[in-house]
Amino acid sequence: MTGWLVAAAAVLVLVLAVGIVASRGPLMRRVIALEVGGVLVTLALVLLAEGFDRDVYFDLAVVLGAMTFAASLVFVRFLERWL
Amino acid sequence: MLGLAVLVAVGSVVGLIAARDDLDRLHFLAPASVVSPVLVALAVVVREALDGRAIKALLVAAFFVVLNPILSQATARAQRVREHGDWRLTGEERR
Repeated sequence: MTGWLVAAAAVLVLVLAVGIVASRGPLMRRVIALEVGGVLVTLALVLLAEGFDRDVYFDLAVVLGAMTFAASLVFVRFLERWL
Repeated sequence: MLGLAVLVAVGSVVGLIAARDDLDRLHFLAPASVVSPVLVALAVVVREALDGRAIKALLVAAFFVVLNPILSQATARAQRVREHGDWRLTGEERR
């Protein structure tokens, strides 16, 4: 197991912890946890891509990075106006 | 560099869990989304030189560095609007 995969495993454990925060508590806390979770999952994908030596996972990470931002922004706008 | 990136992410998550209120919590988004991706991207560059993978890793880091402040600001604004009905200062706060 390379250092990349160990780091990816550590980040995925953090994603679990963030997932617990995101699944309970007030709405804004959940959204913030979701934002942190999106960043961590993207980071884990980059680490896994390098650890498994797979180019295509990097593409996933790039797309996920952009989509995470867009999704979080939509959530936040909904929270501000309608929810 | 990888260890440091993971440590920063751990610190962010601990801060997220331990912070007093949501605006404090929002501050802990920044280290995880700015410092960690940049460190990981630099680690990829050091390992691979500046090839396609490294450029994609740098692109991911650049996304987060540029977009994180926008997201933080939008989240803080949403929090304020939910609490006060408007993001601008209230008359009482102006005084």
